[in-house]
Amino acid sequence: MSAPFYKFGLFGDNVSLILAFVIGIGFGFFLERAGFGNARKLAAQFYFTDLAVFKVMFTAIVTAMLGIFYLSWIGYLDLSLVYVSPTYIVPQVVGGLILGFGFVIGGYCPGTAAVSISTGRYDGMVFLAGVIAGIFIFGEAFPVVKEFYASTPMGIVTLPQLLNLPYGLIVFLVVAMAIGGFAGGTWVEKYVAARKKGAQS
Amino acid sequence: MKDITHGASPQPYWNPYIAGLGLGLVLLASYVIMGRGLGASGAMTSLVAVGVDAVAPAHARTSEFFAEYLGDGTKNPLMDWLVFEVLGVFVGGFISGILAGRIRLTTEKGPNISTRGRLLFAFAGGTLMGIGAKLARGCTSGQALTGGAVLNVGSWAFMMAVFGGAYMLAYFMRRQWQ
Amino acid sequence: MKRPFPLLTLNARLGLLLGLLGVGALVIGNPAAGSTVTLDPVELSRIVQTETDHVSVEELSDWIIRGKDDFRLIDLRSEAEFAAYHIPGAENVQLPALADHGLLRNEKIILYSEGGIHSAQAWFLMKAREYRGVYLLRGGLEEWKETILFPRLPSTPTAEQAAVFEKKKEVSKFFGGSPLTGAAPEQPGRTIAMPEPVMPPAPAAGSAAGGAPVKKKKEGC
Repeated sequence: MSAPFYKFGLFGDNVSLILAFVIGIGFGFFLERAGFGNARKLAAQFYFTDLAVFKVMFTAIVTAMLGIFYLSWIGYLDLSLVYVSPTYIVPQVVGGLILGFGFVIGGYCPGTAAVSISTGRYDGMVFLAGVIAGIFIFGEAFPVVKEFYASTPMGIVTLPQLLNLPYGLIVFLVVAMAIGGFAGGTWVEKYVAARKKGAQS
Repeated sequence: MKDITHGASPQPYWNPYIAGLGLGLVLLASYVIMGRGLGASGAMTSLVAVGVDAVAPAHARTSEFFAEYLGDGTKNPLMDWLVFEVLGVFVGGFISGILAGRIRLTTEKGPNISTRGRLLFAFAGGTLMGIGAKLARGCTSGQALTGGAVLNVGSWAFMMAVFGGAYMLAYFMRRQWQ
Repeated sequence: MKRPFPLLTLNARLGLLLGLLGVGALVIGNPAAGSTVTLDPVELSRIVQTETDHVSVEELSDWIIRGKDDFRLIDLRSEAEFAAYHIPGAENVQLPALADHGLLRNEKIILYSEGGIHSAQAWFLMKAREYRGVYLLRGGLEEWKETILFPRLPSTPTAEQAAVFEKKKEVSKFFGGSPLTGAAPEQPGRTIAMPEPVMPPAPAAGSAAGGAPVKKKKEGC
């Protein structure tokens, strides 16, 4: 067992900040590579013309998920030290809905907004200003929403734990869903493109 | 539409699966190195907390929400893992943009809306996103990607809610994008 | 349009690899959650020899009085014994549950038991599981009682011994113990009442700045 390195005391907090910066560079780099600094490409997901958001997100999730699974299998990664944030099911679902609204109205999410700003997009800058306003509003309203915010806690729970199924089975199902989604998504893109062409001709 | 790259034509985006693979490897590296994943909204919250603290320190310290991000005063709240990570995101995006000739001072919008309209929507959307991200304890980077990879129940529920919410409103927003 | 075809094949190949890994995960089922341990005998012997793994009761009492909280104190005894008395700030964790207690490998962890046998055994197990900051309380609870709670003044003390004893009396009172002077010889069979296992009040001077210090959010998003 050697990983996660930080939790094994391999380096301290200051080095971790430098690593955060480097990891962030990688994150931003690939986001831009995928074209996620562009609100139109991001929004296209929700009109079925370009499902890159789904493809990129799920490829990333599946890659990391498989990596974590296999690394813990060979005993390199200590799963018990991997951070899993506690679940508060209702506020997270409601927050997700609101975030989804914000996504299709604003065209970005916080990470992609950062990439959009660094490639010069004004709408990304305005979007980020909005995010800051939203966080501020939430902070000011916190005493009122506090109860809802902390409601329905489920603690730290993963899908295998919740469904009482083996970890590997869930991984397999997620992979199957991803592959199905990719194939289906590609078909949908072609269908929508063909229909658009048909409508234009 | 000022084009900083002086006419160099922007290269096409990468194959989404390759980009996703790269993203996934960065996420995996983060887990292997730090035992935690990525994030974005947390860094912005730290920024807001510091801002509020600068303008109205008494209020910031008594506010349960902001006080948590300001810590106990022994450490600068901006010396935070997520803050440094998000700074890296800016840099990484810039590097990729420069290499691909995609840096352009402009506003992304559909053909059927004015720039002003687009910017208004951008602000409104951002505000909603800020609220949603705090309620859900994360955004797509922190919850969906990061939590999704470790099969966190809340993260998966969140992710489905995000797609659901966005699709719900897509019809009403079509003028902005198409 | 020749270009899309090589791209499609690439995607198909990626999809195939993905599928294989997924099936592999299905077959594996549950990766073992670290059920084997590794030992470095040379390193461990060196540590034991030089006693760098020990924390004395004086040091621990000093840290508690000063309000230091950069360590975790683990009491390995049974729940009943813990309830009767424990060193303030200690967490009660039995040996088998130690691995799942959420202790970080770069945290300072101090183990104690009644004497020192269980803590020593636990120390080895933790060290083998790559915990870097694990320490033993030398002498365990017995030493704590003798030195901290019930310090004894020798019957004919020297000036230096008397001075040291005064300090020990302060420490003992802080923890709710009762210093013993040599005048009253201990009768065999008489049990000394253990102080209530409550956290001693934080010293007024030099405590952390006002109110409850808010812990900075760690690892959240």
